[in-house]
Amino acid sequence: MATWISSNPFGAGALASAAIAAILGVWYLVRKPESTRTTKIALLFGIGVLPLATAATGNVSGYEAMKSRNFCGSCHVMTPYSDDSSNPESKSLASRHARNEMFGHDNCYACHADYGMFGTIVTKLGGLRHVYEYTFNYRNMSLEEARKSIHIRKPFQNATCMHCHSTELPLWRAVPEHASLTSEIASGRVSCASAGCHGPSHPFSKDPVVPVVDPGGTAPTDPSGKVAP
Amino acid sequence: MKLPRIVRGRPSKSLLRVSVILTLLGLVLMAWSILAPTPMPVMLAMTVGQGFGTLAFGLFVFVVLRDLRQSGAAERVAREADAAEQAEPEAAEDGA
Ligand code: HEC
Ligand code: HEC
Ligand code: HEC
Repeated sequence: MATWISSNPFGAGALASAAIAAILGVWYLVRKPESTRTTKIALLFGIGVLPLATAATGNVSGYEAMKSRNFCGSCHVMTPYSDDSSNPESKSLASRHARNEMFGHDNCYACHADYGMFGTIVTKLGGLRHVYEYTFNYRNMSLEEARKSIHIRKPFQNATCMHCHSTELPLWRAVPEHASLTSEIASGRVSCASAGCHGPSHPFSKDPVVPVVDPGGTAPTDPSGKVAP
Repeated sequence: MKLPRIVRGRPSKSLLRVSVILTLLGLVLMAWSILAPTPMPVMLAMTVGQGFGTLAFGLFVFVVLRDLRQSGAAERVAREADAAEQAEPEAAEDGA
């Protein structure tokens, strides 16, 4: 309990204000007080201030929860990805980003943060689209089919990798492939995650937009096996 | 104020009851999403839950403003009656 509160202070705050608001609400329903000024001030808290606080802190806590791999993996079509990342034996690029303390739990988010479920109001709507897609088109789809039809919508941006890997350090530059492709990588013409470089990031990744008929399920490749600086 | 007829005619007390019930429903959804942060509850809380909360608060503000306006009007009537009483004591008798 205590650890839950400290790990999720916003959630705890949201629950506390929700509880007080609920007490005020139930008091109103049970006692049926006259609509005096005092009653209205109590209700200003019970209907206005405290629920608003719950919504605000609940949003923060909700967005935090949405970042976690567990959350992504709670839809069956995403489980191959989350299972692979959670597998300590896996050598996929995504999984190798799942083991550090800083963002290992949120590794999906770390690489797919521009993906529709995060951030502002606009992405909230994007997230809704995602849930809509799931509910109406993917809910009963077999994993086999889903793997074939799910593909990245926008080509993956190298800038995402470069949030963390600056590509400015000498060890990075010393890698011959990096050195000969510096401008292509910076401009995005060559993806860091392309096959033969560091991709595919998931054992069953496909090319953007073109759904592949047979994903093959081939083993992840990272032929270089080099440590990125 | 252009509001649906069902809202306009209702006494403050029953509107506030509706508002409180909506609030409680919204709170339940929000609390659920925090205790079980999986897609369904989280999405419900952020859409339906917050929608209920907003509706409830809107209703509350409407009631408070309407009551203020009515008590303002009542005061004005009383003041006018007072004034009339001072000018013409006997005429105010039945007006007050
Ligand atoms: C509600 C169930 C559900 C959850 C939760 C979910 N996904 Fe998905 N995801 C889907 C479905 C269904 C598709 C395929 C439909 C589509 O392309 O929008 C998909 C497609 C994708 C795609 C490829 C399409 C695109 O937008 O580029 C990515 C990337 C993705 N999900 C990442 C994630 C991440 C990261 C998370 C966790 C933050 C996550 N998903 C959580 C159901 C879900
Ligand atoms: C959120 C920050 C972050 C992002 C985004 C990120 N990385 Fe990493 N990357 C790391 C960290 C931290 C490590 C070291 C992980 C460890 O030691 O557990 C790492 C390790 C690596 C490694 C070495 C793996 C190994 O086996 O030694 C490669 C290669 C790599 N990243 C490539 C990429 C590529 C390509 C992308 C974009 C698709 C990317 N990274 C995106 C932070 C990031
Ligand atoms: C190292 C960064 C990285 C991490 C971590 C990561 N992804 Fe990806 N993901 C990518 C890249 C890059 C692509 C584009 C395909 C490719 O090049 O491999 C991709 C593609 C996808 C796709 C599109 C389908 C496909 O096969 O192309 C989905 C769905 C997806 N990722 C979901 C997830 C989920 C869920 C997680 C967390 C378990 C996750 N990703 C973690 C980098 C990452």
